[in-house]
Parts: sequence; structure tokens; C-alpha cells
Amino acid sequence: MRQIRSFVAIAAVTALAAPFQVPAQQPRSGGELVFPVPSEPPSYDGHREETFGLIHPFAPFYNTLLRVDPFDKSGTKPAPSLAESWTVSPDGRIYAFKLRKGVKFHDGSELISEDVKATYDKIIFPPPGVGSTRKGQYAVVDTIRAPDKYEVQFRLKEASGSFISSLLSPYNFVYKAEIIAKDPHWYEKNVMGTGPFKFIEHVKGSHVVGRRNADYWDKGKPYLDSFRAIFMRDSAAQVAAVRGERAHIQFRGFSPAERDSIVSTLGNKVVVQESPWDCILLVSINHEKKPFDDKRVRRALTLALDRHQASTSLSKIAIVKAVAGVQVPGTPFATPPEELNKLAGYWPDIKKSRAEARRLLKEAGVPEGFSFTFTNRGIPMPYEPLGVWLIDQWRQVGLNVKQEVIEAAAYYTPLRKGDFQVAMDFQCGYIVDPDLDMYKFLSFDRNPANYGRYKDPVLDELYDKQSRAKSAEERKKLIRAFEKRLLDEEAHYLMTLQWHRIIPHSAKVKGWTVTPSHYLNNTLDTVWLTQ
Amino acid sequence: MGYYVLKRLLAMIPTLLGVAVLIFLLLRVVPGDVVEARFLAQGSQFVSQDLMNAERQKLGLDQPLWKQFTTWMWGLARFDFGVSMWTGGSIAEEIKLRFALSLQLAIMASTVATLLAIPLGILAAMKQDTWVDYTVRVFSIAGLAMPSFWLGILLILVMLTAFKWIPPMVFTPIWVDPWQNLAQLVWPALAIGYRYSAVGTRMMRSAMLEVLREDYIRTARAKGLWTKLILSRHALKNAILPVLTVISLEFAFLLGGLVVTEQVFNLNGLGMLFVEAIARRDYTLTQALVMLIATFFLFVNFFVDIAYAWIDPRIRYS
Repeated sequence: MRQIRSFVAIAAVTALAAPFQVPAQQPRSGGELVFPVPSEPPSYDGHREETFGLIHPFAPFYNTLLRVDPFDKSGTKPAPSLAESWTVSPDGRIYAFKLRKGVKFHDGSELISEDVKATYDKIIFPPPGVGSTRKGQYAVVDTIRAPDKYEVQFRLKEASGSFISSLLSPYNFVYKAEIIAKDPHWYEKNVMGTGPFKFIEHVKGSHVVGRRNADYWDKGKPYLDSFRAIFMRDSAAQVAAVRGERAHIQFRGFSPAERDSIVSTLGNKVVVQESPWDCILLVSINHEKKPFDDKRVRRALTLALDRHQASTSLSKIAIVKAVAGVQVPGTPFATPPEELNKLAGYWPDIKKSRAEARRLLKEAGVPEGFSFTFTNRGIPMPYEPLGVWLIDQWRQVGLNVKQEVIEAAAYYTPLRKGDFQVAMDFQCGYIVDPDLDMYKFLSFDRNPANYGRYKDPVLDELYDKQSRAKSAEERKKLIRAFEKRLLDEEAHYLMTLQWHRIIPHSAKVKGWTVTPSHYLNNTLDTVWLTQ
Repeated sequence: MGYYVLKRLLAMIPTLLGVAVLIFLLLRVVPGDVVEARFLAQGSQFVSQDLMNAERQKLGLDQPLWKQFTTWMWGLARFDFGVSMWTGGSIAEEIKLRFALSLQLAIMASTVATLLAIPLGILAAMKQDTWVDYTVRVFSIAGLAMPSFWLGILLILVMLTAFKWIPPMVFTPIWVDPWQNLAQLVWPALAIGYRYSAVGTRMMRSAMLEVLREDYIRTARAKGLWTKLILSRHALKNAILPVLTVISLEFAFLLGGLVVTEQVFNLNGLGMLFVEAIARRDYTLTQALVMLIATFFLFVNFFVDIAYAWIDPRIRYS
């Protein structure tokens, strides 16, 4: 086991250091990349769906206006895609994008600005009867214009620090305007983009095949001849597929035990890339239920948690690791550890923290052995280990917690109705960005997905201010203030531990970099196989 | 015989109607619906209530229950299963895609079960209380004790460790590439077939022992008939009836009940489709699958009854 751990550590370090130390290998063309996908999408329309099960097999058929730099490990750096450059007006309200010339759809027609406009009109201003799950994310957009054949302009209602990030969404596949005009539902059942691969087949429940687009605008790419995405729900089957070298990689992530099992079988034929994951389980505290309306009780709940110790112990058995605030550690707006450790529930001295928790509970009139129900979701990893951990931590400050596990598909019914006391909640983003990551915590009347059901105008104001901040430094300060109010002063929501993404993949796979989001880096244009 | 067949066929109608009512109501009692499963399960924050209401309206979930039921029944009466609430695709197509694999696997596993159960059961009965009998009994008890999915996991691990090989992960129809097809399906068929042969072996052994003690067998032996002839003409024909029932019902079960084994071997079969349909609250697809499997069960039962009547004349004369 020690050997495995050492290997994983070496492999992870090697993967991290690779871009700086090892001379870049010459990409090789050819081969078929095979990867399991743990989920299958209901439709092919990126503007409508919410699952990575759509992104992994279907992103290679499309391009987006901008993309995240495929070699940026933080997964936050914007890079050109269909737009080769962009400018922002001095007041921060007009974004103009210059499109590449000569980009062709798979049917041979040229991509022009009208296609981009029609795509974003469908996402932001969908016609009646057309579902767009991301409409709310672009509430700041006023109008979209296509002043000439190769330029698109977005006019915002007000300046937004996160607008570029919102255009990096891997779901915003650019569609053909003519098709959208004829039938806005066409893309739900058909595939036709400008991406590096052309759609060959989708056998439902089985697999998706894509073949190299010889007319791809980025000459020389993609390197792969084809890819085959195989739908595989069971994680044991996914592990067996990678261990048995039937699959090269699984892009979502494996647990530590699964990583060790793959590494022990394949040895140096496997490379492990790891990263903090932009997903986190949160504890939602229903402010409408007594005694959780009292912030002393909520602060006691967070003070009871020994996150630092859990980071060491739970990371051995579950897909969690880093102690985190409202931003993924290591990303531009994340709070440094020394500052984070000043917040309630993050103090390194757990004895002091728990003593304070007991004091607050007593002060709030909560008796020793007070009993409440913790609602958890019926998904084993990582809900189960984190649920057990939370209950154990709360017991250590004299609380008696009963766990109620609800089946995954029915889980959000009681949460939406407010029919719970304390519950596990979940947040996962396609990119680490303050606006996206903190929207969850806005007052209940602004965001019904805030299951804590509280109203906090101060928090809302801080959110709006950071979104409009003129500089990164000013924004950081406002984010810190938001974080302190959310997690410490009011303890509206509790953070558990940041998820940890573990990708053990065949050493034959090159040109792919792990990021904090399992929604990113799946266009596969930079990926190649050594043999 | 004709009247008997007709009576059995007509009896299926109220049974199917009962199944339809039951599954329709049970699904609506379970909390959550397909819209929540689709739009909230990923933790999305931007999905508005308006969008969810519009989706429910599109799927007819805002209609009163009686209307949803009559619409569904009217479709069924025209053999139209409708569309999946999850994918929007034709349910007939969704099922057709998986049916070939599930049927082939059920046939292969039942064949394995039959080929093991009947000879082993006869052998154990013939050699009662000898080492042969004990070996067969241990073999069959081991089969009963091991779930087929667990045996499947063992098979995969052994193949992976010993041969660095695992079965193909994508189904290839037998008429496209028989070798590829068998390389994928033979392992789950063995795992499932062994499990079900255990039940059949024990059933065959006890039925055979009972028949071998009958007076007419003693008479046949007294007449000096060959043992082979006594077994095949007199004993087996009478002892096989309960075994036939067990294997046939298992065959019907295999069509939609192999969820975990399908997961282990990553088989795109009806069992997985069924579980996913339930987890996604895809009412239309779940209802269609329940009706399909119920009909299949009824027809298997029907054919077993006909076979009974054919094998044992006392049944058809009564």
C-alpha cells in the first residue's frame, strides 16, 4: 500500500511538474480514445441539459465562443475558440468578439456571427416552449448584436466581473442559426457543430462514436482518428475497464481506493492526475425551523467540525480533501489558508472550537443531548462518509443526530418544500468563478435553490458589489467579507470539504490536463495517444 | 384443449389490467418526478420554477390522474407505448435496442442452467448417498449461496489477474460478429446459468427420487426393461414437470431482472433500463417495461401450462 501511495504521489507530482520540466513531446496523430462515461444525457442539447454525461461524449462535436485554456490547471483562464479575440468597452458594458474566418459546420456551411447570435439568443432569450436551464445565469445581458459577418456584441445592463467566465460554459455549444430558426428543438435529437470530431453514432445505453473532422479550423488537430465514449454506470465496471486496458481514461474521477487498485495493476502504464474539484457538499440549515433560526446554534454546528483532521482522514476513503471557503483552493479568488483559519469552524485548535460550540448552544438554550434529524442523499460517494462524519462531529458537542437517507431522485422534494431541519446540499460548477459559486447563498427570494430559506440583504449587497468590482483586489476583499458573513458571523450554510478529483489514466494519453471541473477540457482536440 | 387454451388466454386480460392500475398508481405515490430528477439532481441553481412547470405541462404531468391513465390505456390498446419522459424518444425503440441482448442472455443462461440441472439432478438421484450425490449437492448448494453478480465479479477479477483480459464492453449482435458477441455474453451467461442450475438440480434430484420410488417404475424394472429406457420413457417425463416450471419462470425473470449482473458486465439490457427508468421517474418507460415483463411472464406461464397438458394427458383431460 505504501508503494502504491508513493507511486501515486510521484505520478501526481510528475503530472504537475510535466509542463515545466519535460520537453514537450511531438503529438502523434491516429488512434481511438476509449473512455467510460458514468451518466447518459436525456437529449443532445447543451443549452438544456445539466449533466456531464452530455459534455463528455458530445463536447467534441462542438465549439464554444471562448473556452478555458486546456493546459491551465486552475481551469479559469479564458482562451480563444470560435472568437479569436475580444474587447471590452471602458464602462465594462459592451463585449465585442471577433470571430475566426473559415470555420465550417460539419455540413460544410460557414460559421458566421448570426450563428453565434442565434445560439445565445436561444440560451438567454429562449422562445416560448424552448427550455434553457442557463437563462438565469445571463440576466445581466441586455442585447446581442451581430454588426457584421464576423463580429458579435453583447451589451450588458451593468458591468459584470464574471461575464467572460459565463461565456466559458462548456454547455454553450454554438449551433447553426438556420436550423434554430426552422426548429429550435432540432438540436435535442440531432448533432451538428463545428467541433474537432464528427458525430458517427449513438447507441442508447451503450456508446457514442466520433470521427476526426478533417476540415477542422485548427489545422493539424485533432490528433485522434476517433473516440468512443462508453456509457457505464457502475464504478467497478469503469475501474475494470481501465485496469483491463479496454479504456484509456474516465474523465469524471475515481475514489482513492479505485485509484490505488488501478495503479497496483498497471504500475507505470498509468499516470495519475489530481486536482481540487469544483464540487462541494454543503450543510443546509433550515432557518425556518427552531432552534436553527438562532445564529448561535448554527455557529455551534460549524464550530463542532474538525475540518483539518477530516481533510487527512476522509481523503483516504472519500473523494474529498481540501479545507475550503467559497472558492476552490488554489484558484485566483480563494482565501489563503492562514486567513481561512480565522473563520469559525476553521480554527486549528478544535478543543477551543468545540468549547465555544458548547457555550453557544448553552447560551441559546439548547439542552445537552438535543436531538435533530439530518437529511442525507442516498448516494454512497461521498454523501455517506461525510454524513457519518458530520453526525460524529455534532455528537462531540452534545447533539444527538438522527440520519434520514432519501433516495437520490426524490431528494430535492423535501428540500424545496423546506421539509427538513438540517440537510446535505450540493454545489458543483463548470468553472471556478465567484458569481457562479456564491449565487447559491443569495437570499431565498432571489434564489429558490437556497434551501436554508433565509433572507440576508447584507449578503446580497456584498454579492452584487463583488460582481461589479472594478479591480481584482477590490473583488477579493468583497469576497472575503461575503465569506465571513456567510460562514462565520451568520453561519447560514456550512462547508464540508472540497471534493478531490482523481484521474488515473493510461500513460498513452497525452495532451490532457486535469482541472477543478469535470465539465471542462472535453473537446479532445489537444488529446493524443502515444501508440 | 382449444377451450383450455382460450380460457387461459382470456384470464390474462384482467391480470394485465390489474398490473396496469397498480403500477400507474404506485409510480405516482413515490416522491419526486422526472422534471426534478432531470433539472435538480446536478445541483443547478439557475433552473427556474417556470421552466419546471413548463416541462411538466409538456409531459402532461399537470393533467388529472384519470386523464393521464386513460391516455396511457388508449395508447396501450393501440400497442403504442408512447415516448420516454426522459429522452423524448420512442419507448418501442428504447426497448427494442435492449431486447436482443436481454433475450439472448436469458436464452444462453437458461441453456446453461438446463444443461447443468437435468443431467446433474438425474445423476444425483441415481447415485443417491454416494460421493457423486454429495459432490452434486455441494456444487448446487454453492450455486445457491453465490449471487450471480458476485460470481460475475469473481470471473472478471480472475480474467483480469490471470489473463489481463476482460470481456468486451459494447454489445455486438451475434449476426454481426459471433465471436465478439460470445466473448461478451458467455461469462454473464455462465454466472447466471450456474446460479439458476442450482435450483433446477435440486428440484430435479428430489422429483427424480420421488418418481423412482413409484410402483410403475418398480413394475418396469420387474419386467426387465433397460435402465436407460425406464429413465427416459417413464421417470424423466414425470419428474421433469416441476423443473420445467422453475426453469421457465426463471427465464421470464432473466429478461428484466438482471440489474446487478448487467451493471457488473456493463450490459445494455432491459434490467438496467428498468432501474434507470425508475430512478429517473420516467413514468411512461417504467409502465411500458412493467407491462412488457408482466405480459412475458403470463405468456411463459401459459406455455408452461400448455406443455404440462401436452406432457401429462391427465391435465388436459381434466
